[in-house]
Amino acid sequence: MSIIQQHTAASLTDAWRTVNIDILTEDSSVNFDTSTLHPPQPEVSEADVRTLSTQVRQLLRGGDAEGALRGCLETPVYNGTDGAKEAHLQTIIEVLQSIKASDMTPLLKGIYAAPGGSELLDVLMKYIYKGMASGAPAAAGLKSPAKMTPQSTGFTQIGSRPGASNEPASAAMSVLLSWHEKLVEVAGLGCIGRTMTDWRRV
Amino acid sequence: MAAPEVHHLFHNPIADHSFSADHATLAVARDSTVELYGKAGNAFKLKDVLKGHDKTVTSVDIAPNSGRIVSCSQDRNALVWEPSPTGYKPTLVLLRISRAATFVRWSPSETKFAVGSGDRVIAVCYFEEENDWWVSKHLKKPIRSTITSVAWHPNSVLLAAGSTDAHARVFSAFVKGVDERPEPGVWGERLPFNTVCGEYLNNSAGWVHSVSFSPSGNALAFAAHDSSITVVYPSGPEQPPRAVLSVPTQMLPFKSLIWKAEDEIIAAGYDCEAFRFQGGEGGWQLVGTVESKGSAGHGEQREESALNMFRQMDLKGKVKDDTQLKTIHQNTISTIRPYEVSGDRVTKFSSSGVDGRVVIWNA
Amino acid sequence: MAYSKPAATKDWNQPPVAGPHLAPTDVNLLLYSVARSSGPQPKPANSFLRNIGPTQGKQQPLAVMSQSLRPYLQCVRSSLTAALTLSNFASQTTERHNVPEIEAQTSPEVVLTPLVIARNENERVLIEPSINSVRISIKIKQADEIESILVHKFARFLTQRAEAFFILRRKPIPGYDISFLITNFHTEEMLKHKLVDFIIEFQEEVDKEISEMKLFLNARARFVAESFLTPFD
Repeated sequence: MSIIQQHTAASLTDAWRTVNIDILTEDSSVNFDTSTLHPPQPEVSEADVRTLSTQVRQLLRGGDAEGALRGCLETPVYNGTDGAKEAHLQTIIEVLQSIKASDMTPLLKGIYAAPGGSELLDVLMKYIYKGMASGAPAAAGLKSPAKMTPQSTGFTQIGSRPGASNEPASAAMSVLLSWHEKLVEVAGLGCIGRTMTDWRRV
Repeated sequence: MAAPEVHHLFHNPIADHSFSADHATLAVARDSTVELYGKAGNAFKLKDVLKGHDKTVTSVDIAPNSGRIVSCSQDRNALVWEPSPTGYKPTLVLLRISRAATFVRWSPSETKFAVGSGDRVIAVCYFEEENDWWVSKHLKKPIRSTITSVAWHPNSVLLAAGSTDAHARVFSAFVKGVDERPEPGVWGERLPFNTVCGEYLNNSAGWVHSVSFSPSGNALAFAAHDSSITVVYPSGPEQPPRAVLSVPTQMLPFKSLIWKAEDEIIAAGYDCEAFRFQGGEGGWQLVGTVESKGSAGHGEQREESALNMFRQMDLKGKVKDDTQLKTIHQNTISTIRPYEVSGDRVTKFSSSGVDGRVVIWNA
Repeated sequence: MAYSKPAATKDWNQPPVAGPHLAPTDVNLLLYSVARSSGPQPKPANSFLRNIGPTQGKQQPLAVMSQSLRPYLQCVRSSLTAALTLSNFASQTTERHNVPEIEAQTSPEVVLTPLVIARNENERVLIEPSINSVRISIKIKQADEIESILVHKFARFLTQRAEAFFILRRKPIPGYDISFLITNFHTEEMLKHKLVDFIIEFQEEVDKEISEMKLFLNARARFVAESFLTPFD
């Protein structure tokens, strides 16, 4: 006689084999509460970000690039809607793009030397990586080759090469890349490390 | 200043090392064994291999007075190796943990040791005479992740622990019948087992790699994966600490740190060299490396054509090109420990790393 | 093996420089020689195309690509160096196991923020760090269908031989062409900065390789087209 007394729909399928029982165990390490890894952050609304952005633009127009950059970095949007986060990123990228390459290093050094400057540069590093991540389309999803420029033959040599620097996206990237390079020179690899460990994500 | 003493033992990672009190014996954790090296002239020669674990040994500690060795491993066990005329005799410890044991240290009194584990508990082990067995009590709350390191307070009651949940904590590990009732201090007055005397988190929340009490026991330092060290000065029981000083650095993270004195900390890690921090309650700062770059043996730059150098920089985005690091350790330093102490200052310390080297430095 | 490729040195009007050897040691040598497909052994990627295309090599002018490539690679290099700070870490969910946490994804606290480094929308690197392993995924430049076919074939060729590469992941993660998995055991056995070099070098070589293959293919296509069309001339 079979030891299985009853066949039910659940015992006949093998769906139960793929259930991750760890998730159902409250005490399991899978259910680690990562919100315990950072102190609670004040919520920043989209309106706040916009006010800040206008202030920053004013500073930029007045030629105070350092003040503008500091202004952005002192109020990172750790807790806010996606819209607010995105808007703040745009503000920062705007500031970064408006600063000349030759001014980058002295400016960063100035911020680093000031008290609390290391923290500000950590924030800047987070935004640089975020900027690069958001520039890459469909970073999380599958990107199908269908999105490629349609070329009936595929043999065309001349045309838009992705290396061409006149594309706006790649120009923005190269600004971020050169900021990244300068930032690592000033704040060291520790700065990248903190971007990775920090659970206060932008 | 004398050059550091370098012992290149083998080409495997050394998870942990420990010297006996007379510095004649060196125990290192290699793979799933503990190897004992004896001092012969200026070198260390393999003397004995302690086999008993069947997974990577994560930590080893020699008790300075009794000469007992305790080791723990990812096979969930800890063994106490009792010296005897015919060699070391292992005794299994009743840890009651079901994940890897990650770190072990004898208390200064040598009557207890603490084993950190991936089971989110710390097993505080002591010898029970009537059963003739090492048994353990668990420190459980509020640990939420793997314990990476533990450190004992000089009074043998308080225990600091760092964990991958980014918190450094101070517990009471008071075991009735084993410990004397401790004097009330800055960490607490009444200290029953598993009292949490302090819980500290960094802003950037790296896993805590190493914790250490200052020589007086009145301050706690910890190194975390966010490349920082943090020093905590408690003000008294149940009160917020007087000062929590965090020093973010430009370096890669530190794996291990020790107090040289109340005003100096030495930390080492992924940069393959040791760094010095100085300060006090007013603030701490990184002052430099322990290793003087000029004395490093293989520091000389190789001949290189300028053209090639620029091309490397241009194409690979790389500035120098060599297979040998300029530091003495050629890979991550995993543990540093005090080697020689005079008064309350550490005059020499030893380091071991993933490159299979044990180095004794002048602090 | 000299660092400079013989062909490249010719371009620079220089005799092969003997000085800055990479002096590859033990494991490094193996990894390195595999990495340098341009070494004494035949190019694996070319060999499958060799029978359809002319074999004479055309070197891409190197200076052209360096303009925006250098900051990109520099960024990958520093990010990787910071991410490759690994330690031995036993699993918290399964007893007596030691698995790459980035793959297991069973303990959220030991997995760090992933970093994306992008040069433009077609070229990017994803670095996913964790306590004992780092996963690096590369999106290789693909300008048109031909290049994307070539990249696909090339990546397939490599992943089928993943065991020779130690750190190569058999399957790229979605959205990327090729992935590497570096664990603490790799950083213990091999020099960390050489592992970083390997990834950087790979990125650079693969671009060159793809554009070279495309040139072969185009030349071959032109040749075929010409021979087809000649009789009707």
